[in-house]
Amino acid sequence: MNDRTRLAISVRDLYVDYEIVEQRRSAILDRVVRRRGTGHRVVRAVKGVTFDIHEGEAVALVGTNGSGKSTLAASIAGLLRPTSGEVLVSDVPRLLGVGSALMPGSTGWTNIRIGCLALGMPGDEIEERLSEIADFTELGEALDRPMRTYSSGMRARLHFAIATAVKPRILIIDEALTVGDAGFKAKSAARIEGLVADAGTLILVSHSPGEIRRQCSRALWLDKGMLRDDGPPNKVLSRYEKHVAGAEPPQSVAAPMASSTDPASPTTPRDTATAP
Amino acid sequence: MTSADSEAALFSVNAPLSSRDYLRAMWSRREFAIALPVESMRSAHRTTLFGSLWHLGTPLLTVLTYYLVFGKLLKVDKGIDHYLIWLTIGVFSFRLSQASVTAGSTSINANNGLIRSMRFPRALLPASAVGSELMGFGFELAIIGAMSFAAVGASRRWLVLPFLLVVHTALNLGFAFVAARLNDMISDVQRLIPFAFRLLQYVSGVMFPIQALIEAEPGEHVVLAKVVAWNPLLRIIDTYRWVFLGTPLTASDIARTSAIAALCVWFGFRYFRAAEHRYGQ
Repeated sequence: MNDRTRLAISVRDLYVDYEIVEQRRSAILDRVVRRRGTGHRVVRAVKGVTFDIHEGEAVALVGTNGSGKSTLAASIAGLLRPTSGEVLVSDVPRLLGVGSALMPGSTGWTNIRIGCLALGMPGDEIEERLSEIADFTELGEALDRPMRTYSSGMRARLHFAIATAVKPRILIIDEALTVGDAGFKAKSAARIEGLVADAGTLILVSHSPGEIRRQCSRALWLDKGMLRDDGPPNKVLSRYEKHVAGAEPPQSVAAPMASSTDPASPTTPRDTATAP
Repeated sequence: MTSADSEAALFSVNAPLSSRDYLRAMWSRREFAIALPVESMRSAHRTTLFGSLWHLGTPLLTVLTYYLVFGKLLKVDKGIDHYLIWLTIGVFSFRLSQASVTAGSTSINANNGLIRSMRFPRALLPASAVGSELMGFGFELAIIGAMSFAAVGASRRWLVLPFLLVVHTALNLGFAFVAARLNDMISDVQRLIPFAFRLLQYVSGVMFPIQALIEAEPGEHVVLAKVVAWNPLLRIIDTYRWVFLGTPLTASDIARTSAIAALCVWFGFRYFRAAEHRYGQ
């Protein structure tokens, strides 16, 4: 929270709703007759969140499953449009999620090429750096296989390598590293540190206290779509952990909440791996 | 806190780009738009026996079928010189439109993985689908050119081809943009497109000269006559026939068709962009 450095992200009174369709009827029927209460339901995932992040800050975003973290992350990245309020940024943020395959039927090599091209990297630069990017993934011969055959950890390696190939000034990581093994976690952590040290900005959505304490200088706690706490990681994490342990008995944390009414479901079907 | 200073450099992450900046962003990712269909085709053709050979095989077999039915059986070729070439031009150029709009309509769905993880101008997806179909049309154009050269020889009219391709592509692009957005909103659209094109095929004079049929019975088909008169695809097919066979054509037809095509691409682009943030959600 350094007032001297420049602002990188400013989130102002942000609300994000979305419509979910509960019963799949004919899509045409849905458009023509908008019956209220039957098919569509509006879920308010983020409710009036305001905060500033400065350049060089690494900020953790914590909260239970369905608290709206992924929705907030996608809104800051500009992939979800807010219902009201605004997100101001100093540069277009890059979001790194537990992504699906970019082109499921194509090889890892092709996915690297297409991914880098989609991010705007010139083709000759990609050819120049292709082996370096591929080396970072450590996927070896698996790069010759179609990406749909990849495990979630392998996908995460590929996505991370692409997303950080061109240094993003603002990087948002939505639980993308939790599926990686120890070796990859160390490697990605080092690269992220370099990025933040170079006046970059990081938002890390994570359920791992260790990861947060190591990499972040500040933590935001999102609870039911609202900002509950903002401060040094140690302080916020201990309050958050106390809340999780006290509010709900451990065995019932994930199951009933994550089922039908999980407010973050469209963007976070993967928001599962809490260890209470 | 120097809020005024530090906020000066901020911009809204949702601020829509001006058309000029949007087009500039598209242009800077042109390599992506070229590579995407090439790679998709490569992975798609891994499963069919003859792979990309079907890209030519399908239209040729279609021409053969129509030639037997409409040429030999129904004998609609009366009064048409070089009916086989006339038919081939119709089938090939109509197919370009159909393939472009169909590919454009599915381009959002087919690239969901990319859309969900990366930000780029979404209009690149239908545009690259249309562009890729246009590249494939080169082979078909070569076949038409060879047939026409053998039958009537080369002509100075061939110089009009680049302009004709621009007008044709503008029309295809406009409809592809509209189809892409509609199909993203209502996935049933994809099932209706083949029927729309089947109907369109009969009023575009692909297999038989529809205008001659209407004019043969004046006052009989008032609505149909209007549809045919305003159908830009029919004019475009007629222009290809004028280029390769020298069939009659009026300048006002070309002017009207060019204007309609320009309007189509302008409207389609705006209509597609208006839902930019909704694709893939």
